[in-house]
Amino acid sequence: MIQLYRVTKYYEGVPALRDVTFSVDKGEFVFVTGPSGAGKTTLLKILFCAEHADEGQIVIQGMNVFRLNPSSIPYLRRNMGFVFQDYKLLPHKTVFENIALALKVVGTPYGEIERRAYQVLKKVSMETKLHLTPPKLSGGEQQRVAVARALVNEPQVLLADEPTGNLDPQSGQEVFRLFRDINMKGTTVLVATHDWETVRKMQRRIITMEHGRVADEGRHQTMRAGETQRHNA
Amino acid sequence: MRGYGLFYYISEAFHGLRANSLVNLLAVGTISMAMLIVGFFLLVFFNLQPIVNALGDRLEISVYLKDGLTEHEKDFLVSRLKAEPGVRKVVYLSKADALAVFKKELKGQEALIQGLGENPLPDSYEVSIERPYADADRLEALSKKFSGYPGVEDVSYGKRGAEVLSGLFKIITYGGTALAVLLGVSVVFIISNSVRLALYSRGQEIELMQWIGATKAFIQGPFLIEGMMLAMLGTALATGILAGVYYALPQEVVLFLSRPKGLDFLPPSVVAYMIIGCGFLGLVGGLVSVNKFLE
Repeated sequence: MIQLYRVTKYYEGVPALRDVTFSVDKGEFVFVTGPSGAGKTTLLKILFCAEHADEGQIVIQGMNVFRLNPSSIPYLRRNMGFVFQDYKLLPHKTVFENIALALKVVGTPYGEIERRAYQVLKKVSMETKLHLTPPKLSGGEQQRVAVARALVNEPQVLLADEPTGNLDPQSGQEVFRLFRDINMKGTTVLVATHDWETVRKMQRRIITMEHGRVADEGRHQTMRAGETQRHNA
Repeated sequence: MRGYGLFYYISEAFHGLRANSLVNLLAVGTISMAMLIVGFFLLVFFNLQPIVNALGDRLEISVYLKDGLTEHEKDFLVSRLKAEPGVRKVVYLSKADALAVFKKELKGQEALIQGLGENPLPDSYEVSIERPYADADRLEALSKKFSGYPGVEDVSYGKRGAEVLSGLFKIITYGGTALAVLLGVSVVFIISNSVRLALYSRGQEIELMQWIGATKAFIQGPFLIEGMMLAMLGTALATGILAGVYYALPQEVVLFLSRPKGLDFLPPSVVAYMIIGCGFLGLVGGLVSVNKFLE
C-alpha cells in the first residue's frame, strides 16, 4: 500500500528526513512516533504530496510519487483521508457543509451528498450537530467532524498528524477508537503521535523516528521506563 | 469522471460576489467608469462614421482635358480611367456644362465672368472614388497617374478635404484602438486585484480544498466566472448609464451634431460585443490572479 525507500528531505540544507525506509501493508494500523522535530509531520506531508522528497522512492497505492504529474496529485489525495491536529474545519460553514465540501470536490451528485454526509456523521456520532458551525463544538467534536470529512469519500488510506494533540485524554481516546473501527473495516491507518499511553494500549505496529531517521520499527509490547520518560518529554 | 458543471461554478461565483460585496461593488464601479469612456468613444465613432463616409463619397478627381481631343481619344481616356482600381464613376463635363455649373456657384456675382469672353473652362471628367481609396495618399497617387495619361491637361482634387478626412479617420482608428487597449488592460488589472482579494479572503478554504483532492479547475472555475461576471456587470452598468444620458440628451444637442437623422445609440450588437469582450477580459484577469495564487 505504502512503500518508502531511502527517502530524504532537506529544509534549507538541514535534513528533516534521512534515508527513511519502510512499508505499510493494506489494512495495517501503524503509529509513527518520536519526539518533536523527529520528522513525523514531514513524513506525513510527503506521503500526502504536500512536500516533495529530495531523494529516495515513494510508492503509494502503486503510484510512484516522484513520477506523479502535479495534475494527478488531487486524484491520489482522493484515496487518502487526512486528519490534522488543528482540525482544519471551515469556521463559517456548518458541520454538514464542511463534510459536503469534501463530497463536492470529488464530484458527488447533489442527490447523494446529504445521504452520505449524514451517514458518515452518524458513524462519528455527530449526526445531531450537523447544522452547527465548528466554533460551537468542543475540540473532541471538531476532531470527530474532521475524521468524518476524511472518511466521507471512503479512502483506502487514512493519515493523521497528531490528531489528539489538542484534545483532552477522553476525547483523544474516542478519536483513537474511531481510527481502530475504521481500520477494522479495511482502511489502512497511519497515525503520527507522541501520545505514548494510547500507543501502548492499542498494541499496533510502531515506527519510531529520531532526528529524521527510523530508529525502531516493530510491534510495541512494553516500553522501557527510560523511553517513556524521553518520549513524554 | 464525475464533476460539477457550469451551474455549480456560477452559483459559487454568486456566493463569492455576495461574500465580498463591497470590494466587488468598487470593482464594478471602476470598470463601469472605464467602459463608459469606451462606450462614449464608440458612440462618437459610430455617429461620426456616416458623416465621414458621406464626405468621402463627395471626394472627386477632376481630370481636365486638352482642347481639340477627338471622340475616339476621349473614349479611350474614359476606358482607362474606368479601368483604374478604386474608380467608382466617371462623369463627362463639357466646357459648356462646366461654365453653367460655375455660373450657378457664382449666383449673384455673375458680373465676375461677364468679361471673360470665350468660355475659358476646359472639358473634364469628374472621377468619383470608392470610399477605401478616398484618402490623401491614394488620391495623390491616382492624380499623378491620371495626369500622365495622353490628352490630360491637368488634374485636381480636394487635397485639403482629403487630408482632413484621412487625419480624422486615423485619429478615430488609432486613438480608439490605443484607448481600448489601455482601458482593456485596466479592466484586466482591476479584475485581477478584485479576484486576488477574494482569493485571500478564502485562502483557508482553497488550501483545504487542495488537501481534500480538489482539481485546479474545480478551484479556478468559480473565481474565473466571478471575474467574468464583475466585468460584464461593470460594462452593462456603463452602457446603461450611456443609454440613460443618450435618451435624456436635449434635442438641440442632437441637432447641433448636424445629422438630419439625429444621433444614433450604439447598435445592440456592439453593446453585446462590449459586454462579451469585457467578460473575456474579466476571465483573463481572474485567471492571472488564480494561477498566481495557486502557484
